[in-house]
Amino acid sequence: MTETTYLIWLLLIPLVFSLVSFTARWLGRIGRILVEVAHLVSVTLVLILSLLTVGAVLDSGSIFGLGNWLHVDALSAVFLLIIGVVDFLVGIYSIGYTRHELQTGEFDDNKLSTYYGLFNLFVFTMLLVVTANNIIIMWVAVEATTLGSAFLVGIYGHRSSLEAAWKYIIICTMGVAFGLYGTVLVYSDAFNVMQVPGSAVLWTEIIKNTQSLDPTLIKMAFVFVLVGFGTKAGLFPMHAWLPDAHSEAPSPISAMLSGVLLNCALLVIFRFATISNLVLGPAFAQTIFLFFGMISVTFAAFFMYMQRDIKRMLAYSSMENIGLIVLAFGIGGPAGIFAGLLQAINHSLVKSLMFCTSGNILIKYHSRNLDQVKGMLQVIPVSGVLMMVGALALVGIPPFNIFLSKFFIIATGLGAGYNWLMILCLLLLTVVFAAFFRVISSALFGEKPDSVEKGEANWLTLIPGAVLVILILVLGLYIPSQLMTLLNEASYLAITGDSSQQVAMSMKDFLLPLAHLLP
Amino acid sequence: MSNVILINSLTGLLILTSLLVIEVNQPRWSALMYSLQSFVLVGIFALLAYTTEAEQLYLWAGSAFITKVILVPWILYGALTKVGNPEKPRNAMGTTLSFLLAAVALAVSFIVVDQIQLKAAEPFKPALAVSMAHFFFGELCILTQRNLFKQVLGFCLMENGSHLTLALLAYNAPELVEIGIATDAVFGVIIMVTLGYQIYKSLGTLDTADLNTLKG
Repeated sequence: MTETTYLIWLLLIPLVFSLVSFTARWLGRIGRILVEVAHLVSVTLVLILSLLTVGAVLDSGSIFGLGNWLHVDALSAVFLLIIGVVDFLVGIYSIGYTRHELQTGEFDDNKLSTYYGLFNLFVFTMLLVVTANNIIIMWVAVEATTLGSAFLVGIYGHRSSLEAAWKYIIICTMGVAFGLYGTVLVYSDAFNVMQVPGSAVLWTEIIKNTQSLDPTLIKMAFVFVLVGFGTKAGLFPMHAWLPDAHSEAPSPISAMLSGVLLNCALLVIFRFATISNLVLGPAFAQTIFLFFGMISVTFAAFFMYMQRDIKRMLAYSSMENIGLIVLAFGIGGPAGIFAGLLQAINHSLVKSLMFCTSGNILIKYHSRNLDQVKGMLQVIPVSGVLMMVGALALVGIPPFNIFLSKFFIIATGLGAGYNWLMILCLLLLTVVFAAFFRVISSALFGEKPDSVEKGEANWLTLIPGAVLVILILVLGLYIPSQLMTLLNEASYLAITGDSSQQVAMSMKDFLLPLAHLLP
Repeated sequence: MSNVILINSLTGLLILTSLLVIEVNQPRWSALMYSLQSFVLVGIFALLAYTTEAEQLYLWAGSAFITKVILVPWILYGALTKVGNPEKPRNAMGTTLSFLLAAVALAVSFIVVDQIQLKAAEPFKPALAVSMAHFFFGELCILTQRNLFKQVLGFCLMENGSHLTLALLAYNAPELVEIGIATDAVFGVIIMVTLGYQIYKSLGTLDTADLNTLKG
């Protein structure tokens, strides 16, 4: 199998298994087994092909496919890695979760096949976002992620879930339409310069011709793109759909929305930021990133503190983390972008763990309210430990992975001279700490309600969480050399669209900038 | 040259039909007004194709006729008949204020488009400004209208605005791009209408003011 065929199979597999799942509804009990097997095969193959593709990028640089309409370089490989790993682990968790929903009657055979059909369709659309080289198809794919996942958000058919699904589809469609405007402006400008429509639509070709693009138009286009895809990424103030959709969707879908979808939207913004960097210089995009990053972290921190609903709190935490990633890109330079990308990986793993564990809470307590969820360590001890690790990781406690990426962001920010901004950021992170401290003290250690019986739902709802904990710990202590190389290449690519100028980064790149702060 | 003037003038009709879509009291009539607007859009595509000798725009006109003049209004009309074509709830913002905002959107669009320096767009700047304004009218419709199906029509208006922008600035993009965008738009309407119908069946309302359980 060649590198190009990896890409094609990567897209085909979830699409085909999505169709298999949709049609399985007519097969009765056999259909129930078929959808689970098809889903398991799909998530496993997507993981294997994602890893193979990332490996191929590490070996030979960019990969192209379908007449250059598909493209994976180090930057998109980072996001492909996230999709492959989270899709696999959350996919397995889904099997345990949906089995429980079938037992309790929340799901029937019809809903089950719709769930797995849409799950795989959703994965296909996200894979298309990160592998598209054609900027308009990139937009089509982002729009398709909304259409593919809206029914998943409202799948329970409850009043609140239908309301969340409606808000999700309306707000995201409205927002992403701005993205189309930005995209069309960039295409038109590129065509004006290149005069070849087939090339003017390709990101890899546009960045070769940035010296002739019109700065005013690119400035305007970037603002449209940021508002458009920023809505999908959940940046403040375009975030209104995020807490509702994340909290009302089935927990595995919340994990996919938070751990994967938000990152996909960010990748599209970063692609356009590279064009903006080359046309206008890095200061323009960086200033906008700093503003939106900081404002998102600020509001998310206080919204989190006010929540009593665990899943809404996690949703606002996603907004906070996306804000941090954008802030890191705002700090800029290879080190800032490296830190932002590492934060994207780390956040995806931790948030998948947290949403999966919140699913276990819902299964047991039938509530997300912190006033009712108490004594987890007595009722569901394994889930309790998973939740504790996730919460400690989210607030940035060592030795968990987010500590490292948050430390890198703050260190790079201080090194770049954003001292006051970083101090403010640290203060806001203490608000986040306070919010999660309440979760740990109340949900984990409180007195268990009498009506709740002890015992986990099933082992499939625990294994993925345990694997995630191992990954979170490993990445907190050690970044594998292949990941360092990938992040390093991706950081240079995000700035100039070219990684050939890269200089390998190491821990000292994040520690040295702090030296000037010492007396 | 006269065709260019005609194209720019026809876009004025888009504004009029947009306002009708937003303000007509019976949602089913809004669906018909949308069909009428799409027919004007098809005319603009055909005229653009003839004027600029961009043959692919004839295909755009054909596909827009099938999807926007017939298919989407038919889906919306059918769904509205099923839910008893309820009169729209009061405009959340008031008609006068929404007209005022529409005027502001139009003015802002003309100012923004004036900054764009693209050779291909030069003769069609008024049309380009209207296409952008149209996009904002769609947003305005979504923000001010409380009927779920009127919000879907807002999405359709935005989509018509984007489609016209594409025809003016990116008509020469590979055919698959237009197919992708059009498919997304049609699926968007189908999914929104299905979801809206599901909400009506489960909750017995199409009024967004009744969808107020999620806050904070």
